[in-house]
Amino acid sequence: MASIVGIVAVAISAFVLPVIATLWLTAAACALVAVTAVVNAWGRYTGGLLVAPAIAVLVVMNIFPLLWSLGLSFYNYRADRQTLSFVGLRNYERLITDPVVWDRLTTTALLVVLTVTVQMVVGFLLALLFSKQFPLRRYLLILVLTPMMLSYVAVGAFFRYYYDPTFGLVSQFANLFTDEPYVLISSTAGAVAAIVIADAWMWAPFVMLLVLAGLVSVPKYLYEAASVDRVPAWRRFQSITFPYVKGLLLLALLFRTIEAFKLFDVVFILTDGGQSTETIALYVYRQAIQFNKTSYSASLSYVLLFTVIVLTNLYLYLANRRAKEG
Amino acid sequence: MQGSSQSDRPQTAVTLTGVSKQFGAVDALNDLSFEVSTGKFFVLFGPSSVGKTTTLRAIAGLEKIDAGKIEIDGQDVTEAPIRGRGVAMVFQSFALYPHLTVSQNFAYPLKEAGLPANEINQRVGETVEMLSLSHRTDNQPSTLSGGEQQRVALGRALIQRPNILLLDEPLTNLDAKLRHDMRAELKRLHRQFGMTIIYATPDELEALSMGEDIAVMKEGTVVQQGSPDDLYETPRNLYVAAKIGSPHMNLLDASISNAVDGLDTPFGELSTGRFGLSGGEDVVMGIRPSDIRLAQDSEPHVNMKVQLVEPLGDITIVSVDAAGANLRMVLSEAGALGVQPGHELPVVIPAESVHVFRKADGIAMPAGT
Repeated sequence: MASIVGIVAVAISAFVLPVIATLWLTAAACALVAVTAVVNAWGRYTGGLLVAPAIAVLVVMNIFPLLWSLGLSFYNYRADRQTLSFVGLRNYERLITDPVVWDRLTTTALLVVLTVTVQMVVGFLLALLFSKQFPLRRYLLILVLTPMMLSYVAVGAFFRYYYDPTFGLVSQFANLFTDEPYVLISSTAGAVAAIVIADAWMWAPFVMLLVLAGLVSVPKYLYEAASVDRVPAWRRFQSITFPYVKGLLLLALLFRTIEAFKLFDVVFILTDGGQSTETIALYVYRQAIQFNKTSYSASLSYVLLFTVIVLTNLYLYLANRRAKEG
Repeated sequence: MQGSSQSDRPQTAVTLTGVSKQFGAVDALNDLSFEVSTGKFFVLFGPSSVGKTTTLRAIAGLEKIDAGKIEIDGQDVTEAPIRGRGVAMVFQSFALYPHLTVSQNFAYPLKEAGLPANEINQRVGETVEMLSLSHRTDNQPSTLSGGEQQRVALGRALIQRPNILLLDEPLTNLDAKLRHDMRAELKRLHRQFGMTIIYATPDELEALSMGEDIAVMKEGTVVQQGSPDDLYETPRNLYVAAKIGSPHMNLLDASISNAVDGLDTPFGELSTGRFGLSGGEDVVMGIRPSDIRLAQDSEPHVNMKVQLVEPLGDITIVSVDAAGANLRMVLSEAGALGVQPGHELPVVIPAESVHVFRKADGIAMPAGT
């Protein structure tokens, strides 16, 4: 009933009032209808209504763009030219045969392997350190965790200053030995190292946090029993500590691999893809935003998404199998 | 550690001399001294938090002591690392390795000792057989019942053929039936292997039924050490008297009589002698429930009113009222037939069975005048 009145009022106002007023009136009418619907449904669908706003945001911000871009990937579409033509799987065919894509994927894989390895090793060692009690442990722990809470851009900016050829800390340190200005990012190896160090600095604490949770869950009496059983320290680690943290290590590996696969921000800020450090995520960004190849980059994104999903499921499968084995 | 025969070993397996240990402001062990003879089933007995576990952990080397000396087989091990002590320990929590199967749990300490594989397999087989765990060898500890876990913990200690086996309340987490079975099992294992066992328990039944030598602990120190009979017959103080024996000894306030050569008790005078004390001194009188009996014929007796009857099968515990004080007595099933609360019973308290403790400090007084 209310909605009919609303529609009529809006229709009349469209002729009588100025455009901007009509717009507001329409919005008010819509809000009124929505409120009426909510009030009517309250009681019967309380639970559903409570999650509705979150669902709405999810649909608008995630699900719709996801489906929309999937659709776009089958068309030839450029954001700067409003023309649309259906091309089927042509985009996918193109990216599979594109040597640049394979090159960027190789770069990404290299960075993923390096940065995740460094993160896991450093994170694990940090966790071993922080599982012991020592003075100022709490405060140091907070300090070590800080990088994780920074934004990617901030971390990238920090490290760009460290690596700066003229006044960066790294080059000033190098200046102690040579008079030449030292540019870390001037070679591929240096640039890769720069990215790996920055990313690992940021994310090793995350690995540490997970592993630490595993370490503190090991009952102390097991170590005592093992020491009475005359088991040496490294065997204690292998047969008692490691089984407890194995699951969490795998989880950390999963999270970090997925994240590293999407590595973009740090690379964008540090090298902008120079010295052959352009990751696939950066490549997609360039195709989409700089070259406006919207539908092509959409198809590329879908290939990435698919890859990550496959990786995730592979890990989960392995994790489940390990869990069953104990 | 590798099963040298007990006969060529020193007489004393473990000696603690003046051992003290503080946790913060708490004295866990307080000038603790005792000796354990080789091959004995030795029991540390006392309620929780008297320092039994700390004592075992100190012997194993898991706890560093603040003062005193610990010797194992005549060697001073106070500062020695855990590895060389030749002890195995069963923890109250069992401490099974959760990610290893039963047989892996057994083999684990042996592998670390560097034994050859066929020797390990043979010992694991024997242990599994001995503890009837054959059907569980490939299970992980979490899938086992409490009793099975307990046996695995025991097996992991026994398989090392230790000279000294430390057991920290190993039966506490088991149900009553299993506890009973395991008591017999432990005694059998002790006879079979002949190792020295130091067994901590708060359960007097466990202590008395298994211990050949019992040390009663209080506040971090041993208050009396002796055979179960010693502790039962001649408790050295009120604490031991109250802890040992089931049902517990009756303890009543009394005083040394000025009139007769004996005690003034709530239910009249008793000619027990004066225990070397002077008349009028306050004492605590103790009498075992099993020493109290019913009067026969015209024997002198006291009439007491029955308050509670607890039939326990072959015996019945009867609580009687003794002029405001409560006495428990043990009657045979036949003797207690027809006894009901409210009845009057002719009760005899044999003077020769009475223990007397000085009220002031709880020390037992020797019988006599």
